[in-house]
Amino acid sequence: MAFNPPKFVHKLLESCSPNPAKAGKTLLVINALGMVFAALSNTYAAAVDKNTSAQDKKFLVPAGFVTGAANIGLYYAMTTKIIDALQGKVIYNEDGTIKSAKDGLADKVLDYMSKNNDKDGKNLLQVAQEKFVAREIKKAGKVKKSIFGAETVFNENYVDTVKSTLKNSDGSVSDKAKDLFKSSFKSGFGVAGAFIGAVVGCAILTPIIRDISAYFVQKRLEKNNPEMKEKPYKPYFEPTRIESVRYNRRPLTLKGYMAFTNKGNLKI
Amino acid sequence: MRINSINQQQNKQNFKANPATWIAKTVAKYPMIPVGLAGSSVIAQKIVMSGSEAVVGPVMDVGIGEVITKVTKEEDGRTRESSKVQAIRTFSQSTGGTIVGVIIRMICIGAATALCMKAGQKTGGTIADIVNKNNEMVKEGTYIYKKNMETWGKNIGGVVATLVMLGTNFIIDAPFINWINKKATDIIDNKISKNKKDGVETKEKEVK
Repeated sequence: MAFNPPKFVHKLLESCSPNPAKAGKTLLVINALGMVFAALSNTYAAAVDKNTSAQDKKFLVPAGFVTGAANIGLYYAMTTKIIDALQGKVIYNEDGTIKSAKDGLADKVLDYMSKNNDKDGKNLLQVAQEKFVAREIKKAGKVKKSIFGAETVFNENYVDTVKSTLKNSDGSVSDKAKDLFKSSFKSGFGVAGAFIGAVVGCAILTPIIRDISAYFVQKRLEKNNPEMKEKPYKPYFEPTRIESVRYNRRPLTLKGYMAFTNKGNLKI
Repeated sequence: MRINSINQQQNKQNFKANPATWIAKTVAKYPMIPVGLAGSSVIAQKIVMSGSEAVVGPVMDVGIGEVITKVTKEEDGRTRESSKVQAIRTFSQSTGGTIVGVIIRMICIGAATALCMKAGQKTGGTIADIVNKNNEMVKEGTYIYKKNMETWGKNIGGVVATLVMLGTNFIIDAPFINWINKKATDIIDNKISKNKKDGVETKEKEVK
């Protein structure tokens, strides 16, 4: 019986399918999915927290949504741009023909490699393709022939199969290998783009958005509850304060956990 | 020939003027780096992402706290102080989250790859219908089949790991991150108390 998944699962499966042109985007989608879950649970935490008044919740819950959406939206948009700039962008028509194509840095590097030679006078692209084939064959030799005593499909002839796929009978690099090298090379740029986006998004964008929104949330809470502000404020790292405040150890419950994640950000 | 050489010269000049070309030149020396990156999964992404967050995040927190304090001319410096607390928490979260996240991702991706590899061989199975629709093993050979199944495993495993982590965050991450947070705070507290003590002692000596 064929599996007929709902549309959302279908889309997700589509972005999971092995298409080298999408490798970077897949990483982006999975990471964004984790961020959506994290933002939803943070907002949920604010919504179910009994210590927060209904009036504050009216402000906190939308604030949680807006912060999460801004964070994920900016991260997604920025990373998509970076990936497109590095890998190049190809838009297809519905019938599979190319509608428009924009070269990225990867295409520039490939172009440079095909036009230039190394010190020994060999074409850079050709050298790279040969290295790629040698690496793949070396990897094929290390594949497990059996797992837990059960034989895998990678039998004794596997290295020969790989060789025949990647090399012509005269030992030169086959067209299939050239295609594979090009797609792997370009997909590597896409992955690098996803990494750069994740680093910039997670290490710079998220703290800026989180800390600034936390400041406004705090100010708003203080405005509604003036007694919060009037309390003399003691710095956290004051030895007299530490013992009483820091070890707030309660048994772990769902609500407790939600309150915990609300203080910082849930990481997935 | 001459036109060609002029063209080449122009090409070279264009290459020099463009910073992208400088990058192209550098990357062209190490073509295996992008090829190696192409096989990366969410595990590598998590390590790169959280590793950099563990280093940059706390600095950012303290910096932003400082900026807000200055811009709003806060007198009691509560934003500055709480940003320090947040900095430690950011460090603990990214360290703890990376360790647990990487282990769970490895388990999920390993399991998903093995499942795809096994199920894809049967024709007509539910999973085979999705992962091996075109029957690549017969059409393209074992090599392409293996490559594709590994990619399926990495991606599906990554999505599954994200779902699994919604649960493990409660069971494993929260106490583990609290533990790291406590340890990190202890270390910093000790250092601060020691510095204060030293400061007092030196002042006393000066008085004497």
